[in-house]
Amino acid sequence: MTSPVPAPRSGMPAWASLGIIFGLVGAASILLFGPIGVSGTYPRLIGEAARAVDPAYAASNPYLVKMGSLFRAETFLVLGLVIGGFLGARRDAVKAPKVELPHPGHETNAKRYTEAFLAGFLILFGARLAGGCTSGLIISGMTQLSIAGFVFAAGVFATGIGTAKFMQAIRTGAR
Amino acid sequence: MENLFGLLVGIAMGFLIQRVRASSPVVILQNLRLENLGIIKFMATTIAVGMITVYTLNLFIPDMLHFDIKPTYLVGVLVGGLIFGVGFGLGGYCPGTCVVGIGEGRRDAWFALAGGIVGALVFTLVYESVVAPIVEMMDFGRITVQDVLHVPAIAAALVIGTLFLVVVKLLPTQVKRA
Repeated sequence: MTSPVPAPRSGMPAWASLGIIFGLVGAASILLFGPIGVSGTYPRLIGEAARAVDPAYAASNPYLVKMGSLFRAETFLVLGLVIGGFLGARRDAVKAPKVELPHPGHETNAKRYTEAFLAGFLILFGARLAGGCTSGLIISGMTQLSIAGFVFAAGVFATGIGTAKFMQAIRTGAR
Repeated sequence: MENLFGLLVGIAMGFLIQRVRASSPVVILQNLRLENLGIIKFMATTIAVGMITVYTLNLFIPDMLHFDIKPTYLVGVLVGGLIFGVGFGLGGYCPGTCVVGIGEGRRDAWFALAGGIVGALVFTLVYESVVAPIVEMMDFGRITVQDVLHVPAIAAALVIGTLFLVVVKLLPTQVKRA
């Protein structure tokens, strides 16, 4: 297995140098338009689709009304993530794997796709219930010292660590 | 103009997330199994640098900052975090990193994105009946650490930011050989 974090070029490890830059980017975002956040774009996408298909329903759903138009800075931020991921990957000698099997033990690609879909469902449902995700609540929220950010992070790491350990236990146990 | 700023911030974020390997589900799961703490240390560094920077800027140019503190409706935020954590531990993606993964050419990231769109759709459909009552429970409003502790914001930022930086400096990155 290759090293998970790129080897440091200078004395500073990647997590530290990239973390400092990311912190400054997040601060720049608050200066330029507002705190970074991703998960709100998902229901705004649903809102645009609903307004195209059934405008009366879209206007009657309080959540879609609350989330508003897709045409805003956060949506462009999400588009930027695709470009940034693409540009970052170009600097790697080896292409990113099409599929990674993150849990130890036996796992198939089909199982991984199902797992990724179910996980996507849960992270978006949870993020929208809480009012933000890793970017909006953990990064931006804690950066602004919002209590919600600390509470959300505690919840995420409690079940995140628990689920990761549980998956390791059942996968390796069933082998 | 704001949209252009959003795009540029997104490109920078996507690039950094990819470079630190946070868009790799394998690396995320190593962090959640507490075998490697690189991403957790990256996030803590980001938050510490961000909080010290924005609250220092706030001393000089408070009118130029677009703060947006999210409300602390305790039950909804905590339950949302617990549900999110199960998905995070299962899939190793978050709503942003799967989008970065798509840019990198990861096929499973598309499944996470599709699941996310369905999750947001179901959330929208049950919002009025199920979610709105939860959101109203124990809603403390847009509170911050400095509000609760009655201290100046810059003091809270410097103390918590420094604490985070000291902890990440002391914690090992590789805990267990993968």
